[in-house]
Amino acid sequence: MKKIFPLVVLLIITACSSGDDTPTPNNGNGGSGIAFDRAAMLTNLADNIIIPSYQALNTNLNALVTSKDNFIATPNQANLDNVRAAWLTAYKSWQRVEAFNIGLAEQTAYYFQMNTYPVNTTDVENNIASGSYDLTHPNNNDAVGFPALDYMLYGLDAIDASIVAKYDTDAQAADYKSYLSDLINQMQSLTQDILNDWTNNYRNTFVASTANTATGAANMFINDYIFYYEKGLRANKIGIPAGNFSATPLPDRVEAYYNQEVSKELALEALDAVIDIFNGTKFNGTTAGESFKTYLISLNRSDLATSIINQLNAARGRIQELNANFTTQINTDNTKMTLAYDALQTAVVLLKVDMLQAFDISVDYQDADGD
Amino acid sequence: MKKIILGVIAVTSFMYTSCSSDDGNAPLDMNQVIAPATYEFSRNGATTVDYNGQTTRIQMGEELISALLDPTQSEAAIDGMFAHVEGENNFSNADLNASNKSIRSKTAASTDYFSANTTDANAIRADFDGWIANQVAMVYPSWNNTATAGNAGNLQELGGGAVRYVNGKGLEYNQAVNKSLIGALMVDQMLNNYLSTSVLDAGNNRADNDADILAEAKNYTNMEHKWDEAFGYLYGTDNATSPLLNEDSFLNKYLSRVENDTDFQGIASEIYEAFKLGRAAIVAKNYEVRDQQAEIIREKISEIIGIRAVYYLQQAKNFLATDKAAAFHDLSEGYGFIYSLQFTRKPGTNAPYFTKTEVDAFIAQLMEGNGFWDVTTETLDAISDEISAEFNFTTAQAGS
Repeated sequence: MKKIFPLVVLLIITACSSGDDTPTPNNGNGGSGIAFDRAAMLTNLADNIIIPSYQALNTNLNALVTSKDNFIATPNQANLDNVRAAWLTAYKSWQRVEAFNIGLAEQTAYYFQMNTYPVNTTDVENNIASGSYDLTHPNNNDAVGFPALDYMLYGLDAIDASIVAKYDTDAQAADYKSYLSDLINQMQSLTQDILNDWTNNYRNTFVASTANTATGAANMFINDYIFYYEKGLRANKIGIPAGNFSATPLPDRVEAYYNQEVSKELALEALDAVIDIFNGTKFNGTTAGESFKTYLISLNRSDLATSIINQLNAARGRIQELNANFTTQINTDNTKMTLAYDALQTAVVLLKVDMLQAFDISVDYQDADGD
Repeated sequence: MKKIILGVIAVTSFMYTSCSSDDGNAPLDMNQVIAPATYEFSRNGATTVDYNGQTTRIQMGEELISALLDPTQSEAAIDGMFAHVEGENNFSNADLNASNKSIRSKTAASTDYFSANTTDANAIRADFDGWIANQVAMVYPSWNNTATAGNAGNLQELGGGAVRYVNGKGLEYNQAVNKSLIGALMVDQMLNNYLSTSVLDAGNNRADNDADILAEAKNYTNMEHKWDEAFGYLYGTDNATSPLLNEDSFLNKYLSRVENDTDFQGIASEIYEAFKLGRAAIVAKNYEVRDQQAEIIREKISEIIGIRAVYYLQQAKNFLATDKAAAFHDLSEGYGFIYSLQFTRKPGTNAPYFTKTEVDAFIAQLMEGNGFWDVTTETLDAISDEISAEFNFTTAQAGS
């Protein structure tokens, strides 16, 4: 399928060009001659969606730092509950930035350090035991971030009192406290850096980079968006645990596995973010600006814009039917999981083939061919 | 889908045959030779095709490369898989233990390249021995350490990805062995031994084939069998009549990879077709057509090695700054394919696309100082371009 796609594009481009008597420069408007204001789209994305989303995440991570400080000063159930609540709030706001793997985030492999799951609990425990670790090292990607916190806050024991004891009376309590603290501080610090780079530096570069080239920010951002939808959302949250890429389902691969209550909530938040980006809807608001949707409409493809929105909403409906804990869903009725996956997959084709074709943008990523 | 492709191949083959007959180069009469639809040949109702020795060596190779990622293995145990002696229990598969075949004895062992160059052959086998020894002596003890420049250990790909085990220069010895074996065993035996006139026509092979005199207690002539043995190094674990590809970890797998690159689509059918037509030519006793097919196979199989060498160097560039484990993995595979270049065969010559001296120079450039830890993209591009320049492809075509 992947290999056929470029040929199809080529044929269509050829067909368009041959029917077009007046040669026009390739301005990324699909040859329709209608100018779409890519700068306005990038500005809306940066100012109304990306930067406010990072600000919210940063605020929520600062709150997580505070609640964590209280918990390690006074380890008890109430303070653990506070850290857990702050973790969930921050984790939900993370779902609104994971798609933005561009700029400093891309350079620092930020999202690998924030949400690589499943967490490798052996690595986590080894780090705690040794007390010597470089949290930024790629070997630790699966021992840091929200999934590591999921383990540290919910997975250390089946009984809450025993989890509190790990940070209180356990012989290694000081080491557990240090690791919990280092993890959260690191997440906040990484996020602060990304936010600062956006506000002080990258925002202007991003907004000005409108060219329809492989290195133009608009093209890269659209690719990042689709890649996130395909990998971070469709595959990681639903497809992999449902067993769509393995011989049997892998119910322990769900997001927030140890929490056991929020994998659906996180997936819905992620899909809402995808829908809001597509529509250009302001962060935490209802009004919308220039977006992929208006870009399609300017190219006389409101039909495709409608199809995409309808399909994303259909997928949302499928996810809403699932158990709050995907592990439970997979173990009781995995068909509902695969139905949700199928609904998500249908939109991949609309985004990755039809929308990119309309925008005249090439896919800049490919599936690794293994060895 | 596969059936349709094979149908097209058959037609192409037929067209090729008829076209050639129109040119004035008598006395070659290619109409005599028509390749069958698949690699099936029989005599008196029984098949004449046999390449079980090649299948055995590929299977031994699979166990060997698995053992190179098992830190509980001793050097002696892995050496036993590389240089098996009949009856020794080196493998998990009893058939392999009973076999009198060995990988090492056929490594850098072709008639054309090494029968009068045992010095290089010994040096090449010593390279394999050294990679195995170092894996056990240096990498296995550091299995749980994080690798750093100058120190062996493990490195994990970004995002909780695959864990790679490297030496102090970032090289995965298991990849060096695996990919170098594709050249030193499969390619060398195929191109420089079994497809060579020195082997196909050795002794009385040609007179025997002309007179349909069969090998002792066999249903094939010696010449037929030699050709099949070349075939077996590519398809030995695959389906001979309808190759699936990607059925082993060696040449068959990388033909699949190259075929799946749109720049080179069709190479798999070209190679399969040449094997069929060449084998049919032996049956038809038309040695000119046979040797033409051997030249096609030499060119195409050599291309696989060249393309993958460039591919991995170019892919590594994408990760060199951000994802050392991924970059080192690509470079380790590239290292093996570069090593394999010395076993390729330029059509119409008795020489590889790159000599051992040239290959050693590439390897020295990659391994200089701290090796992959400080290799530059400029070096990777320079080596890529030097390789591409010798073949009919560009670095850009091979690199993606």
